[in-house]
Amino acid sequence: MAITETKSDSFKTRGEFAEVLHHLVRDPLGLTGLIIVSLIFTAAIFADWIVPYDPIALNIKDRMQGPSMNHLMGTDQLGRDTLSRVIMGGRIALQVALPTIGGAITIGVLLGMIAGFGPRWLDNLIILFFDTVRSFPTVMFALAVVALVGPSLTTVIFVIMMTSIPTYGRVVRTQTLTLRNSEFILAERSMGASVGRILAVHILPNVLGPLAVLAAMDIPTVVGLEAGLSFLGMGVKPPTPSWGSILNDGYSLIRNTPWIIIAGGVPLILTTLGFTFLGEALRDVVDPKLRGRR
Amino acid sequence: MLKYVGKRLALAAVIAALSVTLLFIIIHLIPGDPARTMLGPRATPELIADLQLRMGLDQPLPVQILIFFGNMLSGDLGMDMFSNRPVATIVFEQLPHTLALIFASIIWSAVLGIFLGCFSAVRRNSLADRLTGVLAVSFIAAPAFVIALYSLLFFAVELRWFPAIGAGEPGDIGDQLWHLVLPSFAIGLSWVGYIARLVRASMLEIMGEGHIRTARAFGLPEKWITYRYALRLAILPTITVIGVGMGFLLSAAVFAEIVFARPGLGKLVIDSITTRNYPVVMGSVLVSTILFVASTTLSDIVNALLDPRIRQSS
Amino acid sequence: MTADILKITDLSIHYDTPRGALKALRHVNVSVPRGKIVGVVGESGCGKSTLISTIIRLLANNAKVASGSIVFDDQDLLALSETQMRGLRGTDISMVFQDPMQTHNPVLTIGRQMTDIQYRDKSTTAEKRNRAADMLALVGIPDPVQRLDQFPHEFSGGMRQRIAIAMALMARPKLLIADEPTTALDATLEVQIIKRLHELQAEIGCSILFISHHLGVIAELCEEVVVMYAGEVVEQGSVRDVFHSPSHPYTKALLDCDPGHIKEKTRSLPTIPGEIPDLVNLPAGCAFAPRCSQVFDACRSNRPAWNECKPGHHALCHLAETETVS
Repeated sequence: MAITETKSDSFKTRGEFAEVLHHLVRDPLGLTGLIIVSLIFTAAIFADWIVPYDPIALNIKDRMQGPSMNHLMGTDQLGRDTLSRVIMGGRIALQVALPTIGGAITIGVLLGMIAGFGPRWLDNLIILFFDTVRSFPTVMFALAVVALVGPSLTTVIFVIMMTSIPTYGRVVRTQTLTLRNSEFILAERSMGASVGRILAVHILPNVLGPLAVLAAMDIPTVVGLEAGLSFLGMGVKPPTPSWGSILNDGYSLIRNTPWIIIAGGVPLILTTLGFTFLGEALRDVVDPKLRGRR
Repeated sequence: MLKYVGKRLALAAVIAALSVTLLFIIIHLIPGDPARTMLGPRATPELIADLQLRMGLDQPLPVQILIFFGNMLSGDLGMDMFSNRPVATIVFEQLPHTLALIFASIIWSAVLGIFLGCFSAVRRNSLADRLTGVLAVSFIAAPAFVIALYSLLFFAVELRWFPAIGAGEPGDIGDQLWHLVLPSFAIGLSWVGYIARLVRASMLEIMGEGHIRTARAFGLPEKWITYRYALRLAILPTITVIGVGMGFLLSAAVFAEIVFARPGLGKLVIDSITTRNYPVVMGSVLVSTILFVASTTLSDIVNALLDPRIRQSS
Repeated sequence: MTADILKITDLSIHYDTPRGALKALRHVNVSVPRGKIVGVVGESGCGKSTLISTIIRLLANNAKVASGSIVFDDQDLLALSETQMRGLRGTDISMVFQDPMQTHNPVLTIGRQMTDIQYRDKSTTAEKRNRAADMLALVGIPDPVQRLDQFPHEFSGGMRQRIAIAMALMARPKLLIADEPTTALDATLEVQIIKRLHELQAEIGCSILFISHHLGVIAELCEEVVVMYAGEVVEQGSVRDVFHSPSHPYTKALLDCDPGHIKEKTRSLPTIPGEIPDLVNLPAGCAFAPRCSQVFDACRSNRPAWNECKPGHHALCHLAETETVS
């Protein structure tokens, strides 16, 4: 009984992936999201080949030029090509977002499972930890850390990761708690399956869907936070081109070079829209109960 | 009811105490020394040791936390080493500006969000509903500081409809409100989306409940049922979310204050980081953390006031 | 003025589903005479709820009236506009729902809800509150004036059902539809509420369409009974005829399953084997044939006729006529 259960599970998962993709493409919102997200990933991966100019090379002769055929999005006060910086900025954004979310999911899943499967006191302790972390206003917390160790990419990743752990941990905990007492898990346990096996084989596959949805919805937040901190000068250090630092350059010369702000903001808005649309569509697919409500 | 409030306040106190402690511990775990940070790279060891002594950094960590808590409870957040003024005074001077911004944002976004949510729920699955849905998702996704920058660029710099910087003349309420328009628009926009979706979802859920069927079976007018019977219930989760939203708005306010050069907690923190004024940074972060805990607590209590079931279950 | 306050003729309701039309009600005939109590019995899924929802027009969006008419107090309900229909609800037709825990709005006081439903009345709020308090007293709620200011969760399930009955009868309706009003309550409360309902019915003089799967309650309260199975009326007659000489095998099976009717001590309660047929793909003959203990060849191919067993007692069964003869 246990063996057939596992088999059908993994079989189902493969079929489900194709089905999820099928549903996503049929939902206009999902398709839009998918296209935008693929474009962003492509641009970030092949950034070195796409950029028309070196994004950090100074060119004082061509400084503060408006959009033209040579510089599609103009240049900044140091003569750097804005388009090249924007494309490179996308790579930085993903370089921050992916490890941050990966780390937060890993720690969140671990803590959530421990809370859900462990003794009551441990559960309460972890929940209290989640509540505490959630009670920091993220940016304020980030600024407090930056104030001490100084701005850097690592600081940004660390802070955002810390504050996103509870989001994932809570979902995993709830799922673990409900599954823990379900019949098939009780049957497995009575047959002597180890807790680790149950967690890995039964509970993990069941939380993957909700986690994927959460991650897709969380990427905009993380990208926005990174850009925000860099905009404040508390994130990525110059001359590294982050969307946030591009916006900061544009902000200080808003009356002279307004195109920089526009060029730096559009990819940010597109990224957040793309991932949010994708996450929304994904949630409708993963959770059919919600589909009926739309 | 009193029992519920008491319990909720106790929990809030525990969470606030824990978050302050956690903040303290994290700050101590990461490399970096407040005294060294404040004095800059050229400080002599003697100067650093002296400042550490004055800030109480030579004490063991638990003692530092206890001393800090003792001071905090008596309203003492330490001294600003540069201006020799109490940190609490500096922080509370800036706080009203931030609170005004946050409340303005909550109010306009809640009003519009609840309206859009109802509008959508009543026209479920119509084209208008779908468009509102896409609009709401787009609002949610919009990063506050980009919206702030764009509205600064278009409405203040280019069109000159609204003032670009500052919080307005002190004492002139009209001027101050005028200065609030763009910043609160920028940080409230995503809340319009959140609240609209939340209200729509809970409206649809409630419209399917038994008591709504009863109201219909008694022939109550449909408008009456929607707005007096269903909306009253559908608003409850919104209140909780607004409480939690304070935390996000506190974060977003930092950006709005920088972009529009408004005084406030966020601007204070950024300025203090630039001048390495560590005690002021810590003080502001603490106050905003406690503010956040207080607002979630308050929203829970308001919820209990509006929903007799919660009062009972406690 | 016709003798029946409610006359449902040949009513068929279909739900649109992804699998095709779900035929929830098929050619249903039910009549409620003025001042009488008619019971409807059947398992869950037999179409009782669809029947009620059709009468007061609170059907789900995917439901369609495929045939038939509903005449209430000499007007065709299916021909009324939405506004006209709303005008009848809560005035001439009232309802008591099954689950008293979900009948009332949880964040409004009982008093508020009871005054709200009198919104058509031009009297003052104080008068409306008095009327509400009188009504609460009538259904046996102590301290009615004080309790008007309480919220639904401050009442027990039995109390809430009394309040629901008070609300339903406040406008002195011509027809009360009670959808399993005592199912969610325990036995002693059930008896009390049934008794009170009976008294109030006699006082107001309304008719009641009483839906239940509890045969004892039907026998106690009703004069006429309608037995439904899988969207059809399978037997109809006076309570005496139907319960003492049931003609349809389904009615017999129901009576055998009822704990009150079991005379010998058995180890387990009898049940009717099998399940309700798929209402999207119905069997060709009698809908009950797959579960019937007296099934024969004709049942599987021919739809049974509405046979008269004796005046006023009919059954939808091939065997119905022969039974009365023997």
